[in-house]
Amino acid sequence: MIARYNCAIRYIIENGLDIGYVNQPRMTRRTIELGSRYSPDSVCTPFKSTLGSMIEALEAGADTILMTFGLCRLGYYGELQEEILRDLGYQFEFINLSEYNTGKKKDYLKAVKRLNPKFKATKLTAAGLEGIKMAEHIDELESIYYKNCGFEVEKGSYKKVFDRFLNAMDSASSKEEIESEYQRAKTAFSGIPLNKPRASLRVGIIGEYFTVMDSFSNLELEQMLADMGVEVHRWMNVSNRNLHYSGEKNLNVRIKDFCTYEMGPTSTANIWCARDYAERGFDGIIHVKSAGCTPETDIMPVLQNIGSDYRIPVLYLTYDSQTSDTGLMTRIEAFYDMMQMRKKVIR
Amino acid sequence: MKEAYLGIDVGSISTKGVIMNQDREVLASEYIWTEGDPIGAVRKLIGLLKPQFDGASYRIVATGTTGSARRLVGTIVGATIVKNEITAHAVGTTTFYPGVRTILEIGGQDSKIILVENGVAVDYAMNTLCAAGTGAFLSSQAKRLGIEVEEMGEIALTSKHPTQIAARCTVFAESDLVHKIQMGHAKEDIIAGLCNAVVSNYLNNVGKGKKIVPPIVFQGGVSKNIGVVEAFRRALGYEIQVDKNGHLMGALGAAILAEKSEKRKEFDFAVEEMNFQTREVCCGRCSNNCEIICVYRDGALIDSWGNRCEKGGPH
Repeated sequence: MIARYNCAIRYIIENGLDIGYVNQPRMTRRTIELGSRYSPDSVCTPFKSTLGSMIEALEAGADTILMTFGLCRLGYYGELQEEILRDLGYQFEFINLSEYNTGKKKDYLKAVKRLNPKFKATKLTAAGLEGIKMAEHIDELESIYYKNCGFEVEKGSYKKVFDRFLNAMDSASSKEEIESEYQRAKTAFSGIPLNKPRASLRVGIIGEYFTVMDSFSNLELEQMLADMGVEVHRWMNVSNRNLHYSGEKNLNVRIKDFCTYEMGPTSTANIWCARDYAERGFDGIIHVKSAGCTPETDIMPVLQNIGSDYRIPVLYLTYDSQTSDTGLMTRIEAFYDMMQMRKKVIR
Repeated sequence: MKEAYLGIDVGSISTKGVIMNQDREVLASEYIWTEGDPIGAVRKLIGLLKPQFDGASYRIVATGTTGSARRLVGTIVGATIVKNEITAHAVGTTTFYPGVRTILEIGGQDSKIILVENGVAVDYAMNTLCAAGTGAFLSSQAKRLGIEVEEMGEIALTSKHPTQIAARCTVFAESDLVHKIQMGHAKEDIIAGLCNAVVSNYLNNVGKGKKIVPPIVFQGGVSKNIGVVEAFRRALGYEIQVDKNGHLMGALGAAILAEKSEKRKEFDFAVEEMNFQTREVCCGRCSNNCEIICVYRDGALIDSWGNRCEKGGPH
C-alpha cells in the first residue's frame, strides 16, 4: 500500500480480474513495529512499512500478495520480503512484479494469469484505464487540496470534501461513479471560500518516491505545513512520475548544467523539479528521504548547488521508523519562521 | 513600573532563564541542569530568578519559552509565546550581533548552523537522527577521563600535539579514544583531540555544504569550552566570537520574541509553589496507540498533546 492509491489498485483487481481485494488496514504504529521487528535494521523504512503492511493484509485474510517493482533496491525487496514472510510461517501466493518487469507485454500477462488464469483482456483493459484515471483524479485533487487547505475560511472544509471523495473511491465500482464523484469534489473545492494573504509562502516538496507521497511515513509533513498557512506543492505522484513522465533522457537534458549523467529512479526528476521551484520563485524547498536511501542521498550535493545559485533555502529531512513528530515540528517551524523573515527583508 | 520580559529555554541537558528589560539589559539570569526533570528544573529556575529580580520597579508582562521542552514548560508558566529553539537563537543572536553572518551552535543533544544575511536567517541545518559531537558526548568523555567537563577547554589549550581521534561517529570516536588512552597518549592531547573531533564532526555533518562566512558567532553550552572555540578558529581560519551570554542566547531570543509579539500576560512567580504533574496516556482507541501527554495543575487537567486523530483524546 502506498499513499492514497489503494482504492485504484482495488478497482483494477476487482473490476478487471473479478477477484476479491483485501483493503489493507491503514498503516499505524503497529504496522511499523511489525515491519521493523522482522526487517534487517539498516534497510530503508519503506521496506519495513510495506512488510508490516503485508503482515496486516495477511491477517486480514489476503491469500495473495502483489509486490511492485522499482528502480532502486526496491527491485530486490519483494524477494526478500517473501522469504521473511515464509520463514514466519505464512501461507500465501506471492506475485513479485520484479520478476515480470522485462518491458515485454507477454511477461506482464504471465503475472496477470497467475492472479486469474481466465481473465478477459477487454475487461482488464477497460478497468485498467478506469483505475488509472482514478489515480489521476486522486493526484489532481490531492494537489489542489495541499495548495489551498491552509487558507480555507472554515477549518476542515477541504478535508471534508477530499475525505468524501476518497471514501467513495474505496467502494466505487463503475466509471460513472468515479467521474461523478470527481466532478462533485472538483466543484465543491472551487466553491470553498479562501482567505489567502498575498504574501503567503510557497513551498515545494521533493524527495524519495515512497516517503514523499505517503503521509503516514512523512508524519503528515504536507498537512503540517498547510496548517501553518503555506501553499504546498508536490510534483512527485503517480500521474507525473509514471503516467505522464517525459522520460529520463528528456528531463536530463533540462538539467545538463547541474549534472552530466542521468541520475536514476527519481533523482533526475527531483533535480529538475527543485530547479523548477527555484525558478518559479518559491520560498523554500523541502527534500524528504528515508534514512539510507541511496538515490536521494546522491542528489543532495546538486540540491545544495541549486540552493546557492538560486538563493533558495533547502531543508533536508531524513525519516526513520520513528513515530514522534516533535523533532520534525521544531525543524518545520524554524524553516517557516526563516522563510517568513527572509521574505520580509527581500521585499 | 517598567516592563520586563522573561525568556526560558529548557534543553535536554540544561535549563536557562533570563529576565530582560526594554533596553535589552539582562536583569536576572540563571543556568542550571535539567537532570531529566523539566518541570522541576523550571520551578527551581524561577525560584533562583526571583531574588535577583527587582519586583518593585519592574513587572514581567510577557513570557517566551523555547528548547525541546518548550511546549510543556510554556503550559506551566503560562507563556505568551512558544517558539522553536532555532528561531529563538537566530533572533537572539541577530539582535545582539546585527552584522553576524554565521551562527554556530552546539548544545547538549543538538547542534545547528544558521546562515544570516542582512540580519535575517536565510538557511539553517540541524543534526538529525544522531547526536554525535554535542555536549552530551563531551560530558560522557570527561567522566571517562575523570575530569569536569568545565575544565576540558583549559586542559585542551595546554596540548602541543592533539591526538587524532576518529570523528565520524561518537561510537567510533569512543572506541578510538579508549584505544588511544591505552596506548599511552597524554591526557591533554586526548582532550585537545576530542575538541578537534567535535569540530570536524560538526563541520562534516551539520555544516556540510554550507558556506561559512565571517563574522562568526559560536554559542550554546559547548561554546564555553575554549578548546572547541580554538579548534573552530583553526579549522575555519576566522576569528570566532563567543558572547559572555552565549549559553543564554536561546532564552534571550525567547524573551525578545515575547517582547515583540503583542500578547501580554503578567507572569506570576507563584508558579514555583504550584504542583504540576504529567501523565502519559496510551490512547488505545485505534492500533496507532498515540501517546498523549496530559498536564495537570493541582490535580486539574490544563493541557494535553500527542493525539493524532479525531477518534482519540485524553481520557
